Amino acid sequence: MNQKSKTVLLYRIILGAIFVVLAYALFSLQIVKGSQYKEIAERNYVRIKSLEAARGVIYDEKLNPIAVNNPSINLYYKPFLIKDKEKMADFVSAYLPISKETILKSIYDNRYSTFNEVILCENIDYAVMAAISENLNYYPELFFKVETIRSYIINNHFTGYVGRINEKEYNTYKDDGYKINSLIGKSGIERYYERILRGNAGYEIIQVDAYGRNLKIFKDNLSKKPENGLHIVLNINLDLQKYVNSLFPEKTAGAIVVINPKTGGVLAYSSFPEYDQNLFTAPISNEQWSCLIDDPQKPMLDRVINGSYPPGSTFKTVTGSFGLEKEYVNPQTLLASCIGGLQIGNRFFKCWTSYGHGRLSFIDAIKVSCDVYFYDLSKNFKLNEFAEFVRKNHLIERTGIDLPYEKKGFFPNNEWYTKRLGKNFGSQGLKANLAIGQGEVLTTPIQLCAYYAAIANDGIWKKPHLLKKAIGDRTLLYEELEENINKTLPISEKNLKLIQEGLWQAVNGKNSTGGGARVNGVKVYGKTGSAENAHGDDTHAWFACYATWDEPELAIVVFLENAGHGGSMAAPIAGKIISYYNKNVREQ
Amino acid sequence: MKNIFGRNFDWHLFSIWIILAVFGIIAITTASAAKIGDEIHLKNYYWKQIIWLMISIIAFIIVLKIPLPILDMLIYPLYLATIILLIIVLFMPPVNNSRSWLFLGGVSFQPSELAKMMMILLVSKLIAKDYLNELKMLYKALSVVIIPVFLILLEPDFGTTIIFWGSLAFMLIQAGFPASYLVIIVSPLIGLIFSFNWILFVIASLILIYYYYRESLSWVLIAFSTVFNTFIFILTPVFWNTLKAYQQNRIITFFNPMHDPLGAGYQVIQAKIAIGSGQVFGKGFLQGSQKNMNFLPEHHTDFIFSVIGEEFGFIGTFLLIVVFFVFFNRIIYLIKVVSKKEYKIAISGIFAYLLLQTFINIGMNLGVLPTTGVPLPFISYGGSNLLINSFAVAIILKYSEYRDI
Repeated sequence: MNQKSKTVLLYRIILGAIFVVLAYALFSLQIVKGSQYKEIAERNYVRIKSLEAARGVIYDEKLNPIAVNNPSINLYYKPFLIKDKEKMADFVSAYLPISKETILKSIYDNRYSTFNEVILCENIDYAVMAAISENLNYYPELFFKVETIRSYIINNHFTGYVGRINEKEYNTYKDDGYKINSLIGKSGIERYYERILRGNAGYEIIQVDAYGRNLKIFKDNLSKKPENGLHIVLNINLDLQKYVNSLFPEKTAGAIVVINPKTGGVLAYSSFPEYDQNLFTAPISNEQWSCLIDDPQKPMLDRVINGSYPPGSTFKTVTGSFGLEKEYVNPQTLLASCIGGLQIGNRFFKCWTSYGHGRLSFIDAIKVSCDVYFYDLSKNFKLNEFAEFVRKNHLIERTGIDLPYEKKGFFPNNEWYTKRLGKNFGSQGLKANLAIGQGEVLTTPIQLCAYYAAIANDGIWKKPHLLKKAIGDRTLLYEELEENINKTLPISEKNLKLIQEGLWQAVNGKNSTGGGARVNGVKVYGKTGSAENAHGDDTHAWFACYATWDEPELAIVVFLENAGHGGSMAAPIAGKIISYYNKNVREQ
Repeated sequence: MKNIFGRNFDWHLFSIWIILAVFGIIAITTASAAKIGDEIHLKNYYWKQIIWLMISIIAFIIVLKIPLPILDMLIYPLYLATIILLIIVLFMPPVNNSRSWLFLGGVSFQPSELAKMMMILLVSKLIAKDYLNELKMLYKALSVVIIPVFLILLEPDFGTTIIFWGSLAFMLIQAGFPASYLVIIVSPLIGLIFSFNWILFVIASLILIYYYYRESLSWVLIAFSTVFNTFIFILTPVFWNTLKAYQQNRIITFFNPMHDPLGAGYQVIQAKIAIGSGQVFGKGFLQGSQKNMNFLPEHHTDFIFSVIGEEFGFIGTFLLIVVFFVFFNRIIYLIKVVSKKEYKIAISGIFAYLLLQTFINIGMNLGVLPTTGVPLPFISYGGSNLLINSFAVAIILKYSEYRDI
């Protein structure tokens, strides 16, 4: 046999062997075992049942629940079992608040995934379920499942809410085990700690025939237990949180945030007006949605991290520490005499009081919040150096709080002004405005609070955070989850003491602006602010403060939109919070 | 028409190719259909496939019309172009964890498909020379194959890599490279596969030594090969233990899909249920129920054979493999009658390339071979796949016009 015919023979043998193997496998599968497989296919004997993991509960620091799982009866259908979609849609829409069009659209949208279980309605009343159940034998495509619905104990802006996964999220996360009906954290803690809260679904493989015999298609009894999500314990103190919520004046928008300066833990976190997140756990109606969206007070806006505002006089500590650090002034230096304002270039910059404060030293200037002192101080500043200093106080970049979508602060520099005002802008007036926290500077309440907490904590800046720990199968502390939680303020110990002294005087001194925050038996340090703004006639009322016992335990920022003066509106609220904490939280 | 289809044009192969493509369109139509009540919803895949078939026929005509010297001249530049495409594709977004798709204005395309064809054409050109000794032949072939195989492994795409090596082996044998040498090259696999059982390894080694002796290889070579295989045999467990658990799992799952019952295993079991439940006559056109299962997401591409099995039964699947058998048998006949060595080698390469795809795909659907993303030639949905495979058939037809007879 020559080489040529040898190779051709080899090819024929290979082809023949492959043909025989495939034909045999087909014969065995389709003819020998065909009826068995047909039965499996028809009865759906081999099935994977997904075992859902329970979502972790969100607790406050005392393990009072804030977000919990309640049972919910949900109605589903399987498109491939539909006999008459019109009849089915009529039937369902007669019992449930869901329109026929919505049902038909859902069927159309799922026409290529007909074996999926598609959800129709959640949280169905028991009586309605009973009424529907009587007719279910006419509609084999419909079935109920008892699942859970997330429920939030108090209205708040930090837990966020969960909802059904949308198409975009599904495409991003489907490899992580999400299904088309999965719940996913949409905002707040629910989103930020989604991975921790969610856990991992398990499965159970059902592979028995009508007589209960194991079909042995898979290895025996393959199943995986679901791993439940971890519970999250927040630093929030629910009693304090409720008390803080109760302090908001009627019809006022604003934010209050309370931090423990030693740890950065957030004890209370309020943004007003509030809204009920429970609206979002089930499909929300159009009226409810537009009601929330069209409200001019924007209840959906989380003002603690997503609202940025001119900080007003609360910013004078930053201006002051820059002046001290750069040695433009020392504690004894007296600057220009306040006669109710100061002439800078061709403009007269007013102080907040037209009576004037006279010539002041540093601490007195903080105490009475004299604008003229800081106008005069700012004359020496180089704008870019000042901007860099503000950045180092963590008032521009995000704090990194454990919530999604945090907003940055803003402070302009030379380049920014050049772009808008041209090359030869006059910087003196702009700097004077910035020095008192007006003009372009913007901070969020959380940034300001973290900054004041750092002053209280002797210059050590802690990343503010809601999570204390995650508990469950294992325990995870916040420190294990996040990095770089400590930073320092760019200020020497000596100068920091001066700032602290100024803040002490601003609350406790004679003629001080923040007297409203005084609390018996507690050392309160703070600064008022009344920020002019483009949006209203009244100024934004600010009060930023901290309170110490043996150690600093509270840093508070109260921010009220267009509410008037910080001293009269915001400071007393901070005082009440400190007093409440002193009586009801500390002594427990 | 006369000048397109020459005197020796092989109408047999051409007709079988058309039959397979039409079969494919019917299968795609039913695979992309879904039923709700009495309504039938069709995705537009079948229509796209018809357009691709038209394009393939045009490409077919171009290949047949183009003068051979020009086709010859194009082989080098096209080979280099595919290498560049294989590099570009590594920077594309991954699909199913593999970076093998190139997207060009709505049309997606796998450069590795083209790479296989260009490799076959270039290798056959290089190793067809009569004066080459075995070593030079091997060296030339490997120099062409090594770069694309390396790039495709980076994607990663195991199925394609296997087809590459398989085609190369067929071409070398066709070129007169002694089969016993190929066995020596492949034999370290025995050390790898039997690393868990030394008795099997010893038996396999003894059989190999006997085979080498029969083929009268030198004792030095036999000794060297055996020692090397033993070395691999000893090292494999050591290497295996250095792998992380998830890497071990991935390899186990590759060979035994049931190891991952929710992933690869579930696809295989659903494919088997679909095929088995078709029984002798099938459930009828558009009547299959298993195909709608969303655990078979590839049912119009890699798992289309299971849809055919479900709807057309054993009659349908057997008919299909008979058509494939006739198709490949005809190619073997053409290898025999073609006059030029280079063309014989090229057709052998294409033969192996198409046969391996067919076998791997159907074997995967029947659960007898590992799951790799290899489509069924001419049948699976996929424009670039149909185009390249048709191009391969066109090359066979072009080369086979040069006959002894």
